[in-house]
Amino acid sequence: MKNLYIVFSVLLLIYMLVPGPSSIENFKSLPNSDKSTLAGDTVQIPNVSAYFSDNFRDFVVPFYFQNYKEKTWLPFPPLKLNHPPEFSWNVIKRHTDSTYFEEIVYPLRDSLYVNGYEPFYEDGSPKFWGSAKLNEGKNLWFTKTTLRFFPSSPIVKFIVWLGISVSILFLYKLGRKIIF
Amino acid sequence: MKLIKNTNSILFCLILFLFAFIPLYPKFPLINIQGTFVAIRIEDFIIALTLGLWITHSVYSGQLKRILQDKLNQALLLFFFIGILSTFSAIFLTHSVTPHLSILHYLRRIEFMLLMPVVAWTINSRKKFVWALITLATTVFMVNVYALGQQYLDWPVISTSNSEFSKGLILSLSPGARVNSTFAGHYDLAIYLTMCLSVLTAIFFAVKKRFKLPLAALGLFSLFILIITAARQSFLAAFIGIVFSLVLSKKKKYILFILICTGVILVYPSQLRDRFISTFTVNILNLGKRYEGKTQDQQIRSRLNIPTLAVKTSSTSAAMSTFASPSGSLATDITPGEPIDSTQLGVYRSLQIRLNIEWPRAARAFIKNPFLGTGYSSLDIATDNDFLRSLGEVGLLGTLAIVLVFIQVGKRMLILLKNDNKLIRYFSAGVFSMMVAFIINGMFIDVFEASKVASAFWMMMGLGLATFNFKDD
Repeated sequence: MKNLYIVFSVLLLIYMLVPGPSSIENFKSLPNSDKSTLAGDTVQIPNVSAYFSDNFRDFVVPFYFQNYKEKTWLPFPPLKLNHPPEFSWNVIKRHTDSTYFEEIVYPLRDSLYVNGYEPFYEDGSPKFWGSAKLNEGKNLWFTKTTLRFFPSSPIVKFIVWLGISVSILFLYKLGRKIIF
Repeated sequence: MKLIKNTNSILFCLILFLFAFIPLYPKFPLINIQGTFVAIRIEDFIIALTLGLWITHSVYSGQLKRILQDKLNQALLLFFFIGILSTFSAIFLTHSVTPHLSILHYLRRIEFMLLMPVVAWTINSRKKFVWALITLATTVFMVNVYALGQQYLDWPVISTSNSEFSKGLILSLSPGARVNSTFAGHYDLAIYLTMCLSVLTAIFFAVKKRFKLPLAALGLFSLFILIITAARQSFLAAFIGIVFSLVLSKKKKYILFILICTGVILVYPSQLRDRFISTFTVNILNLGKRYEGKTQDQQIRSRLNIPTLAVKTSSTSAAMSTFASPSGSLATDITPGEPIDSTQLGVYRSLQIRLNIEWPRAARAFIKNPFLGTGYSSLDIATDNDFLRSLGEVGLLGTLAIVLVFIQVGKRMLILLKNDNKLIRYFSAGVFSMMVAFIINGMFIDVFEASKVASAFWMMMGLGLATFNFKDD
């Protein structure tokens, strides 16, 4: 049991500290897009970037999923969590337009949130009342993708790892005393 | 020495006061917190004073070492340690909480749970124990009287069911609304009564004949108030709690009587009966007339199900508006697919909110950080399942720690079932049953976070454990 615990703790530490992206700048720009220069999409909120394009969810989410995987030195892909669109108000900013909101995450590590606003279906028909094309610069676009990345420092990860390891040890010892 | 004895007496008085004050004092806010409509109230300060006095007393009386050596207290401390770690992880690693809210939620857990050792170590004699029981019984009676006043005499209602009400507005019960007595929510009142019924059932068999009639009357009074709260889950939990009490008190022959009474209650016309029927027809059999949508926009919005999208409104033509019913015959926010009948709509939403919003949110939080969850307050105000909430907020480690607390309390209660003293024996049976009923309530309601019932629960658990430390037995 002791060896199992040591192996687990060491593997967990390696998993948590393996390098990965440290800023939103480390992620690729969305292909064939205009980067948003609107207030709230640049420097006002940390680690946010947004793109106007004609790329829809079926393309955008796998694109960043693959990009995040490539940027992280782990041999397995991250997880995808599908959040309700309105949750983007908590994570990005209030009044974020959204029709889908997904999180690409390595548990106990960092998260990349992908928010999409698609007022039209891919065939060009409007999705809801008030649908309008998005105007950025001289172009009109069908979709807007907003990314927010939440990095964390290695020190924080180490403290959390230490806390988890100590907690497991205490739980095991106390559990034995209480149950048996 | 005299000072220590005096402090113990003050602590005992404070505990008696809290046994009455927490359930009886309405939820008037004292200090509002930015970002939530949960407020700090006067009872938080009284509990903090009690906890502070107890910790100081424990240090000066030399009890601290013994308290820390207790396995149950060690499990509590481990739970608090994992709570701190989870909060740290939520603020700095997963970035899933607003720091001040998470810290306050964490402190709330400590506040409620520490009441258990405080009561367990302060009520150290049979005399004090009996005083606590008398206070409890009187409090339950007063809670019930107030509920009755709300129902039939239009006594004031203080509610925290939405952000506006939680400012401490004094309301009155509208037609069809359910009583909450002093609990600010009908579920909270129902859970409190469930706890009391489990304990009262067991104690009934322990007391002398002259006390049996008042206790039976108090039990029936509580049952009546429970019925008018129309809380299905709590009614079911109360039934299971009472049956557990009878089994552990070795009074199994009364179970048939309880079954018959339950059957009669469920047949007799009431809001509770209607909600049980709606549960079957709407949630299980998928029957009942459904709203089909009035405008095309409403149908589209219902399909997309994104509340933050622009809403089509019109000040000139009701037919243009997305909102359903200008005449008031339907709920204004009804969407296609939902039942038209208001009772059925309430029952339908009650389950759908859990299945489609709250429980998946907790599951996502658990996936994101399986060991520590995404921190206190990260799952919004409610999950309506305490097991999922625990996994989502403090992960597997925090959940295992709290499970250890329950195992240890359960083991001690079962040991006390063999105690020579009849009152202690039956009271332990009642507290164990109360724990079972409380956990069953926790499958559909956040019972461990509801301040009044959570505080009362940990204090009752403490009272059960206190019987271990009696000096005069």
